[in-house]
Amino acid sequence: MKGFKQHALLPTLQHDEQARQDFVGAFRGHLSGRVMPGNYQLLERRVAPRFAAEHGRPPADEQEIREWMTREPYYQFWSALQRRSQELLWESVIDPTEREWSTLITRARAAKPTKTRKRGSLRLDPALAVPRYHAAADIHLQPGGYHTDFTGDDVAAGAIYDKGINLYMGGALGAENDLMGNTLLAYLRERHPAHRPKRILDVGCAIGNSTVVWARAFPKAEVHGIDVGAPVLRYAHARAQALGVAVHFSQQNAEHTDFADESFDLVISHIVLHETSKTALVRILAECRRLLKPGGLMLHLEIPRGRTPIEKFMHNWESYNNNETFSRYMTRIDLPAQARKAGFAADEVSLEEFVPKMDVAQMNYTEHFFWKILVGRKNGAL
Amino acid sequence: MASRKSSRKTAATGPAVQPRIARVAKGKKPQYFSDPAIDKLLWMTVTLMEELSVTRDRLDTVERLLAKKRVLKATEIDFWRPDPKSSTERDARRKAFVDRMMRAVHAELDEVLRGSNRGAEDDPVAAVES
Repeated sequence: MKGFKQHALLPTLQHDEQARQDFVGAFRGHLSGRVMPGNYQLLERRVAPRFAAEHGRPPADEQEIREWMTREPYYQFWSALQRRSQELLWESVIDPTEREWSTLITRARAAKPTKTRKRGSLRLDPALAVPRYHAAADIHLQPGGYHTDFTGDDVAAGAIYDKGINLYMGGALGAENDLMGNTLLAYLRERHPAHRPKRILDVGCAIGNSTVVWARAFPKAEVHGIDVGAPVLRYAHARAQALGVAVHFSQQNAEHTDFADESFDLVISHIVLHETSKTALVRILAECRRLLKPGGLMLHLEIPRGRTPIEKFMHNWESYNNNETFSRYMTRIDLPAQARKAGFAADEVSLEEFVPKMDVAQMNYTEHFFWKILVGRKNGAL
Repeated sequence: MASRKSSRKTAATGPAVQPRIARVAKGKKPQYFSDPAIDKLLWMTVTLMEELSVTRDRLDTVERLLAKKRVLKATEIDFWRPDPKSSTERDARRKAFVDRMMRAVHAELDEVLRGSNRGAEDDPVAAVES
């Protein structure tokens, strides 16, 4: 957590609040470093041999592994503790946010664009229906999710998410939670160095932590960020204003936006697709294609879901226990095939692996971490 | 009981209730152990771990402040920040505490890795009956 940059939209921490977050960090560090890897040993030394003795073959898929592992006290212990650590993580951030709630809201209101500052904007749509895949369960167990207003002009979900995701990754997301934005930007610069976007759309931007990275990287570009959650967007707008970065945030569903056809030359998202649904995924990809100018690029950053049944089983812990309901389907879904279903030609899409030079130990269920990037180019082969 | 009733009445007729941020996430809560009581006990144990960790941090702060000054105001604790040295020492102590609390979990795996029939060999009843 050292190195996380305090800014005006984050609550300051009193002594015991800091101590609570420090405990959460120490406890989760222990769970991911010392307890979670034991599941692999348990599988190898006890579960797999017993399974083989009974069936005369190794487990065929993650479902068979799950049936056997969920009976193991060690796995039960780890799961229950991991789950509780996630709840405590949010509680440790919610307490200081609630204590400074009115101050944060006042500051967010004051952050409305001024003539002297580089102008961004915020456009909310109170009539927008929160999609079922957001409303049915609070993603990552954040109480109220991205979309709940607990009071007027609420920004709590944004402040909670900002500090919460940094704690979740044990600080690996960087001083401004910019790891994902920097990763996708590094990919663009490495693999498509000639692409200089003039209009950029960040889909499912939440607090705009990645959006800001793109706005800084392409200062002459017009940068937009959309999300379905009002409180995270209010926060995103105020945060971007505080950082002096111009981004246009609007509350829209990525399945059907109000932007004109062919109005962006770069459409991006950062670990968003796995939080949607089977039908929404195809609709979002179709919408991305509609919004792209000819020759425009679509880049969706995603987390790999494991190569072996064991890795898939471990990755999907998040799906079954941390309200990432759709991510279990991402294990089986062929993303380029979904993009083709959404209207991309076969040679317009590819799924690429990208290894960043960054420490992502906290989310690493496997030996070697790499990102997956769904790449699409409208009216042009890759 | 009586006071709870009267406070509810006050809340109904008094000024609007202060909004609160939810503390519980929407969604199905998984059950990990065959006996749900174990889930609850573990939930409580971790909560206790956290509280103890926080209390030790606070006590540590008090001790350090008392060593430095002879007089202590409540606000001094709320606005005190550890220097790099205290921070390092505290991190090490906190880590040791988590290690100790987690021994029960590690023991489970150790048993598996030492061999599953170890218990039978060491069964004292079997030993005296043979």
